This record gives sequence, structure tokens and C-alpha cells, in this order.
Amino acid sequence: MDFITQPVVIGLTEHAPLILAAIGFALLYKLTGLINVAYSETITLGAYFGMWLNTTYGLDFYTVLIPTGLLAGILSVVTYLAIFRPAKRRNVGTLEMIILSFGLSIFLRHGLQFVFGYPVRFYDVPPPDTIMVLDVGVTSFRLLAVISVAVLSLLLWVFIQRSRYGLQIRALANDEDLAQVSGIRPLAVTTLIWFIAGVAGGLAGAFYGVGSNVSPLLGWRQFLLILMVALVGGSWGLGGVILVGVGTAIALAAMALQFDQALYAQLVLIVAFVVVLKVRGTRLTETAKV
Amino acid sequence: MNIDWLDAFLISGLFQVAMVTGLALLLHLQLGLARIANFGVVGFWGIGMYVFGVLYVKVDWPFGDPWQFLASAAIATFVAGVAGLLIGWLISDLNTDGVLVGTLGFATAVQILATTEDDFTGGALGMGGLDFPFDIGRVKDNEFLWLVIMVAVVAAILLYVWRVHRSPYGRLLIAVGGNEPLVRSLGKSTFRAKLWLFVVGSAGMGLLGAMNGVMVHYLDVGNVGVGVTLAAMVGLVLGGTARVWGGVVGVILTVGLFDIVVQSYLPLPEEWYSQAIPVLREAAFGLTLMLVLLFRPLGLLGDMRRDKLMGRIHGR
Repeated sequence: MDFITQPVVIGLTEHAPLILAAIGFALLYKLTGLINVAYSETITLGAYFGMWLNTTYGLDFYTVLIPTGLLAGILSVVTYLAIFRPAKRRNVGTLEMIILSFGLSIFLRHGLQFVFGYPVRFYDVPPPDTIMVLDVGVTSFRLLAVISVAVLSLLLWVFIQRSRYGLQIRALANDEDLAQVSGIRPLAVTTLIWFIAGVAGGLAGAFYGVGSNVSPLLGWRQFLLILMVALVGGSWGLGGVILVGVGTAIALAAMALQFDQALYAQLVLIVAFVVVLKVRGTRLTETAKV
Repeated sequence: MNIDWLDAFLISGLFQVAMVTGLALLLHLQLGLARIANFGVVGFWGIGMYVFGVLYVKVDWPFGDPWQFLASAAIATFVAGVAGLLIGWLISDLNTDGVLVGTLGFATAVQILATTEDDFTGGALGMGGLDFPFDIGRVKDNEFLWLVIMVAVVAAILLYVWRVHRSPYGRLLIAVGGNEPLVRSLGKSTFRAKLWLFVVGSAGMGLLGAMNGVMVHYLDVGNVGVGVTLAAMVGLVLGGTARVWGGVVGVILTVGLFDIVVQSYLPLPEEWYSQAIPVLREAAFGLTLMLVLLFRPLGLLGDMRRDKLMGRIHGR
């Protein structure tokens, strides 16, 4: 049974932040139509925010999660208000919007090195406890990441599907003009979407950071997988993203256990995702909302 | 010819400017005409560089330079072209999001293979042994001649791009960028046009990568990063994606400014050169990309001449 339990446990615990980040990215993509390359820096900055709060103020990892999520959410909103909203008002096209977000990503990635310095940084946390799950040892941080993903996913689903704001978000995503006529304030709702996506990305970054280290390329290294999970899974809504994210996490772990090089697992997944997108072809819709 | 006034920094900086200009010109055909955002420029460039390096260093050729170089470079260009064919086919019917995944995925795959296949590529340690296919004396003389050859290759690419602009194929690419379904409905094969675009563009990028390998003598996985794509893209966007000379002007103003003027002539603290300057360069490129797209999306040179002309004729 090890060949099943090991990939499942290792995959879910190690790559839970991927699922969380993909949920945030997909939310932004599905509801605003923007492929935001700079989302990778929301993840990176989440890791840096957490590390800064942890090492500067001596807060433990669990305590830093809330301010980290809030700071990342605010950063996400600031990028929307300062960059993407003005760009939309200037009628910047879909393609240019992606390039714009690419520029923002590069600017943030390198700009933050002036703030946080060049060396790789680490969280100052005691060695995590190891808990046995199905005979596989898992650190407490990783287990917390899985629980956080599960709880946040549930909360997001309830929020999007059941709450008044969720209804407004879905209405805005379907038809902005009609939503406006119905009394929905697009700015408030869109800002809310960017905030939630930022919180998810920031928390994912903190979990990535505490699991290994904090470096300027942390988010960028995960971005392609996040993008692919969100694009492929996003067709079936939030549930689809979670399912594809879980599948990706388990596949990554299973292949990493099989191959000598963990990078081969990424390579196989890149090919698999591109083939899926190719097979689906033009069924993907191109949107240009923000 | 006396080239004593040229220092090694300047030759290296000029080589970078020429090489990135070549990449920007090829990207212009994809992004500026057909409006295909190739985020995997570094992948095609990198595959050319690594295939060339492996063939040149690891294969026991029955002949020496310059034939060894020519054979290795030709095969590297061919392989990059085949990669372009494959990626072109994969993304031909995908929208912008799919193209982003396909091209970025390809660039990542090249980086992964360059890291993992260390028997061939040297992996993270890198691979040396690359050299000029000639020896005309001092290192500086060889580098200068290589720079001249690179400028000649980029001039040939410029000529090709200029001719494409004025050909039926170029007009087809512009139409594809404007309204692909309409072009298809008129019976034109947009699939074939995009495929050819990717084959030629990727082969050209591969050749430039191979030539870069010769100049740097050492292949390092760190070089196959997103910085190459960024440099070509920011230059093209700044100059103007729609204009033939856009890439040339933009790369001179970005890569030229940083790699030559800032690095060679500004009195900067010594300790900045190891980390601060490269970081500052990339941050400045990112900022430039944002500002241009926000405030002057058509770049410094603006729209295509034919569009300007049509605008004047129709009073737009």
C-alpha cells in the first residue's frame, strides 16, 4: 500500500500551498479574466512578509499567518488599483495586460531584493514536530498547510456560492454591465476579489517559505504549475481547481519518488498540461475584464 | 585595424546589444505582427546554445574549425527550428493564455533538461570548452571579429524582417494578429503561417544562442533564465512592437544603456557590480515595460506606417 499512501500523503502535505495559490489565481482569472503573472510575486512577498514578521518581531509561525495574509491581500489590491485598473481604463488589450503583469512581476521580484537583501532567508522557527499519517512522517507545518487549504477552500466555496458578496462576484464575472445596472458596485467587488486572491497567494508563500527557504524566485518557480492547474481545473470552477491541484500534487510526489530527479516530475507535468490544453484547443475562452 | 581603444567591457556590451536586437527582431514578427506573445524566447535561444555546446565539445568531429563550428551551429539551428515547429503546432489553436503556458512551459523544460542532463550539459556546474572557430591573434581581436559576425547576422535578420513586412506573408501575419477567424474564413491557412513563423523565429533564436555560447565560452544554467526573454521583450515594447526598427531602437535604449553606459561609464561603487547592478537592471526593465504599456502602448516609434497612412486617408 506504500506506493499509494506515500505519494498521497507526501503530495498533499508538500504541495498544499500549490493548491491554495492555484485557488487564489483561478479566482482572479475566472472572475476578472486576467492572467496575472505578478501573482507569483504575491506568493513571494507572502513568504517575505511572514519571514519579516517572524524574525523581526519574534512572532511564531502560526501567529504570523494572519498579518501575512492581510499584508499580501493589501499588496494585491494596491497592484490592482495602481496598475491594472488604470490600464483597463486606458483600454490596454488582453495581450498587453499579460505583458504588463510580467513587467510588474519582474519589477517586484527584483525591487524587493533592495528591501529584504540578496541572500536566501529562513524563518526562525523551532524544528517542527513530526506526525505519522498513514505511516508517513509529516511535519506539523505541512499538516497545517493541508488543513488551511481545506478550510480556506471550504470558506471560499461557501463565500462564492452562498454569500451576498459571492453572488455579486459571480454576477460581475458573467456580465459587468448587467451587474452594474443591478446596483452592484464593480470597484468594491473587484477589489474584494483581488484581496481574497492576495490572501490566498500570501498564505501559500508563507507555507512555501517555512517549508524550505525564502528567495526572490520562490513564487516564480511555482508559477507555471499554478497557472496550468488554474487554467485546466478552472473550467470546472473552484472544485475543478482543487481536484486538478490535488491530482497534480499527488502526481508530483509519485513521480519524484520514482525518478532520481524531482525536476523530471515537473517536466512530465508540463508536457501533460500542454497536451490537455492542446486537446481542448479553442474551447478556452479569452476574456479581458479586470 | 587598431582596436586598442575598445575595451573588453565595450565589446561584450555591444555583443549583448546586437544579440538581443536579433531576438527582439524575431520576436517582433511574432508579437508585433501576428500578436503571439512568445514568453519562451529564452527556451529557443537556450536550446540552440546547449545543442551547439554539446555538439561542439562532446562530439569527436573528424574535422576541425571552422567546419566543426559550422556543423554544430547548423544542427543547433535546425534543432531549435524543429522545437519551434513542435511548439508552434501545440499553440497554433490556443488563445493568449494557452500560448503563455506553451511557450513558458517550453522555456522551463529547456532549463530543466539543461540542469538534469548533466552528462551532456554539465548541469548546475556548467560546461566549458567552447571557443571561437578562428584565431586571429589576441583574445580581444577574436572577440571583436565575433562581434562583427554577430552584427552581420543581426543585419541579415533585420533585412529578413523588413522583407516580411512588405510581402504577402507579412500582410497575412498582420491579418492573423488583427482578426484570425476572419482570415480563416477567407480561405487562408493561418495554421501554416503561424507554424512557419515559429520555425523561422525559433531557428533564428537558436542560432543567436549558439553564437552567444561561443562568445561566453561557458554554458551556465543560470543564463537560461527569464532575463533573456525580458531583455528582448522590453526592448521591443519600448521601441514599438509594430515597427521593424522598434526592436533596434528599444534594445539600444535599454540593454545598450545598461550594459554599456551604466556598467562601463558611470562611476558606481565597486561592490554594486556583483549583485546590485544586475538586480537594478532587471527592476528597471520591468518598470519600463509597465510604464510604456500604461502611457505609450505603441512604443516610441508608434504604429505601423501603413496604419498611419490609412488613418490620414480616412481622417482618423
